[in-house]
Amino acid sequence: MPHLAAESSEVRRFADALRLEAVRMVAPHGFGYLGQALSSAELLATLYLRAYRPGVDQLVCSPGHYIIAVFAAAAQIGLVDREQLATYGFDDSALEAIGTERSPAVDLTCGSLGLGLSSGAGFALANRLKGDSDARVYVVASDGELEEGQLWEAALFAGHHHLDRLVVLLDANDSQVDGPVSSITTLEPVADKWAAFGWNTHDIDGHDVDALGDAVAAALHADRPSVIIARTSTRTGLDVLPPDADGHFIKLPPGLAREAIAELEARLA
Amino acid sequence: MRNPPYPTVLKPYGTALVDMASAREEIVCLSGDLTRQCEVDLFQEKIPERFIHGGMAEANMMSVAGALARKGLIPFVHTFGVFATRRPYDQIVNSIAYPRLPVRIVGFMPGVSSPGGPSHQAIEDIAIMRAIPGMTVIDVADAVQSRAAVAAIVDLPGPVYLRLKRGEIPVIFDEPHHLSLEDAQVLTEGDAVAVIACGMMIPAALAAAEVLGAAGVSVAVVNTPVLKPFPGPTVLDVARGVRAVVTAENHSVIGGLGSAVAETLATAGLGRPLRRVGLQDTFAEGAKSAPHLFRKYGLSTRDIVAAAWSALGREDPTPTVPELPVTAGEYAPV
Repeated sequence: MPHLAAESSEVRRFADALRLEAVRMVAPHGFGYLGQALSSAELLATLYLRAYRPGVDQLVCSPGHYIIAVFAAAAQIGLVDREQLATYGFDDSALEAIGTERSPAVDLTCGSLGLGLSSGAGFALANRLKGDSDARVYVVASDGELEEGQLWEAALFAGHHHLDRLVVLLDANDSQVDGPVSSITTLEPVADKWAAFGWNTHDIDGHDVDALGDAVAAALHADRPSVIIARTSTRTGLDVLPPDADGHFIKLPPGLAREAIAELEARLA
Repeated sequence: MRNPPYPTVLKPYGTALVDMASAREEIVCLSGDLTRQCEVDLFQEKIPERFIHGGMAEANMMSVAGALARKGLIPFVHTFGVFATRRPYDQIVNSIAYPRLPVRIVGFMPGVSSPGGPSHQAIEDIAIMRAIPGMTVIDVADAVQSRAAVAAIVDLPGPVYLRLKRGEIPVIFDEPHHLSLEDAQVLTEGDAVAVIACGMMIPAALAAAEVLGAAGVSVAVVNTPVLKPFPGPTVLDVARGVRAVVTAENHSVIGGLGSAVAETLATAGLGRPLRRVGLQDTFAEGAKSAPHLFRKYGLSTRDIVAAAWSALGREDPTPTVPELPVTAGEYAPV
């Protein structure tokens, strides 16, 4: 049974620890993909504590920019060396800022957006062809990726093949480079779109760990592929951020970084 | 090697793939809604459990194939050459080539062999596939090489783009035949001109050599089914022994065989007049028949003869090329 037990308080704590690691990784650069880690913190905490079994399941981080959150999460359970996190984004580091083939702790990641769901579907199909009915495939995706046509090709493909071992964790943070996703392209109704493509859908508050836990548990028992649409914000869990922070690429000058670290350390104390 | 007109066969590749897959359980077959046209209806019929419809969704199909390969399978992906390369280029790069996965992309209906117009004519597929690091690129000449290609590529560690003629496939070479991925194939010896050709231009290259030979110009015909990694040493050996070089490809002259030969000669510091027969940086058009397009866009035997004549600096009249009578089921050079 793939569902892993974890108390809600433990999941919340994991999410804040992930945020703290991400702040420390971005701070030396003064800017970076911190918003993605802030918005997906509870989603990834739920994945790592309540579902994902490294070595058994496959993990795809579709938007390579989210790899910071994966590294930070993986470090919490010893899959990435904590000291190595300090090299994130620097020259010759194995932890590149946008995920690549060299990135540890994931089975696949893509810097070019929208490729990950096809890859996850391929993994799920390969597992089926090879007779492995235990492995689950988790695809971390973002709402901005829903603008890419390939993602919907993949959604149709997975729906057609009833890839019930496939779970998409969609961080719907309404953030992309040019502004709020909703100001660039109308994606709603997101859940209805996936449902129409043959998916089991859960449209929830992506910072509510109880709702996330219930959704993941339901997804693991679904008879079709599942998508958990996690409604999130790129500023959640870090009150010191200014209200106009650019969620896609947050500026974190030294003073703000110190305040951010102090806030998160206090909460984790 | 046979003489023209050549007999033709149907589905040499599709038959070879089924034979190979019967013995190799890791082979899976993907098709982008062109199953019969890509000869893999045979696979669907014989091994349905390993046949996957990609549908008209090439981007998804390529990324799925990459993931299947990561899990130890050997995907052969089929569609027309245009759809196999233009639409899913980013997916081929990021989901297949950059991770160096053993996906075999098989693109049918090369160049102007399709009378279906520019949307269906793969005229720059070799160029863009050749530009991808680690991609092996193959354009075979006949049914024997189509069959041999399956065995030659099945265990290559990285990705492959295999370009195949659709429909009736000529039989030019004798069997058994080994398709070398390292060396070019010197088909005729000659010391005046080298005609270096690939794929569907091989019959025309051989026919041109006959015409030129009768006019006292001896021609070395070289078949280069492997465009990448390009068999530079063999090509250079031949080029050193002639006064001029002509390339012939059913493709744009930019980025394909002509470019590969030019790069090879220039890098070696070997100066030879070079003429590149192929599409001259132009889109073609829709038509009733492919032979008409081969003539109209300069891909005929006559064009190869004229290119050789020009490269040699000859100012006397170009030798005439006789029409070869062809009956149904036979294939002759245009």
